[in-house]
Amino acid sequence: MAEFEETRFFQVKTEKENKTREIILKVYQALKEKGHNPVSQIAGYLLSGDPTYITSHANARSLVRKVERDEILEELIRVYVEQYE
Amino acid sequence: MAKLVIQGRNRLKGSVRIGGSKNSSVAIIPAVLLGDGQSTLENVPAIRDVQVFAQILQDLGALVSLNENTMTISPNGFSSHVAPYDLVRKLRASYYLMGVLLAKFGRAEVGLPGGCDIGPRPIDQHLKGFRALGAEVSVEGGVVRLGARKLEGAPIYLDIPSVGATINIMLAACMAEGTTLIENAAKEPHVVDLANCLNSMGARIHGAGTDIIRVKGVKALKSTCHSVIPDNIEAATYMMAAVATGGDVEVHGVITKHLEPVIAKLREAGAETEENGDYVRVIGPERPDPVNVKTLPYPGFPTDAQQPLTAMLSRARGVSVIQESVFENRFGYISELVKMGANIKVQGKTAVVEGTSRLVGSPVRATDLRAGASLMVAGLSAEGTTEVYGLEIIERGYESVVDKLTALGADVQRVEDG
Repeated sequence: MAEFEETRFFQVKTEKENKTREIILKVYQALKEKGHNPVSQIAGYLLSGDPTYITSHANARSLVRKVERDEILEELIRVYVEQYE
Repeated sequence: MAKLVIQGRNRLKGSVRIGGSKNSSVAIIPAVLLGDGQSTLENVPAIRDVQVFAQILQDLGALVSLNENTMTISPNGFSSHVAPYDLVRKLRASYYLMGVLLAKFGRAEVGLPGGCDIGPRPIDQHLKGFRALGAEVSVEGGVVRLGARKLEGAPIYLDIPSVGATINIMLAACMAEGTTLIENAAKEPHVVDLANCLNSMGARIHGAGTDIIRVKGVKALKSTCHSVIPDNIEAATYMMAAVATGGDVEVHGVITKHLEPVIAKLREAGAETEENGDYVRVIGPERPDPVNVKTLPYPGFPTDAQQPLTAMLSRARGVSVIQESVFENRFGYISELVKMGANIKVQGKTAVVEGTSRLVGSPVRATDLRAGASLMVAGLSAEGTTEVYGLEIIERGYESVVDKLTALGADVQRVEDG
């Protein structure tokens, strides 16, 4: 039990972060399945706000609008910084 | 010639599936000629403009087959840089062949385009773009001749955010040497749809849907399978018809984001709307409230939806002001609405619509595509029989219009006229 004697910091992901992440991954997968470059398409959507960038395959186009673009960007930046900080 | 005969005042009720975008299709159909093999386009609307474009491509030597809403296009045999003048003049969007032929062969001869008579729509911004890419341009006897030893990427600032010029420059630049920057670009959904299609063929186009588009030229493009986005103007027309008749209609298969300005105005007019995923439900009031509208480039209120909106507002409980800021001559249809009892005064690019409690069916003529849509909406809300002459003009942009309206409970018939 010694390993639990020190005080530890657990970061619990909020429901919103989990939802955002899940949507990004589903949209990425749908774009990939349709032969698009998912990174380029998602970047185009984030810049323009136009869901035309997102395929309707696997309901990805409706899904991506369930979260705001700024929430997607925040999640992407947060994960990137956590990875490389 | 055919006419649309409407017995008005039936409340539209039910759901309608929206077809592929006309404006996207007419850009994407020629674009896939730039690929190295057979491409497949899905969700292509079964409308006259698409059929005319298919014929033009065949005349250029391409192999084209159209099966319901799927079109296959093979550039094998595509060898002519001269577009057939008699077909080109029937279709404004045929000017996209300039960008395609220039990119493919380094030269092009395309007649000045036809299409709807809605005022002068100069192509100077297109030609400015081609010149910037290194093409020599001449216009003689109604024919545009383009030639370039090689096309080189360049910065191009558009004086106005022209959709046609943005698309034509993207087409010409996607295989040019180096990078092209289109500034003050149009942001319409069909610009993005074309960029998506070209990117799926190996092009490198970034920023479509914003006012700066970057096109990094590539050596060659491959074939693709692409699904055309839904037609936001067709959807807007059915939504306005629902409000005009006090109906309850769901439009399915749409991108609701593209309908935001339309939904906002319908709500102002007293309609209830409900959006979910890829559909919008519209419940119209007994009579709409008046609204003021100014047409603008996307994401503003679309100029193509101005005419059916004006018809809808003809029965509003008050005075609406419609300002047309995109095209010069888009109120030509109003004299026909007036024949039906509408009280509308036009001064320059502004129409003042004083709502009346009843429109009366009358024989009217569609002078252009969206004018036809306007008369159709007016006829659906009018008392008695409306005969809209020139149904073929409506069928240039509206797929299965009689069947779709009938399924919504409208009493409409296609009648051959002589």
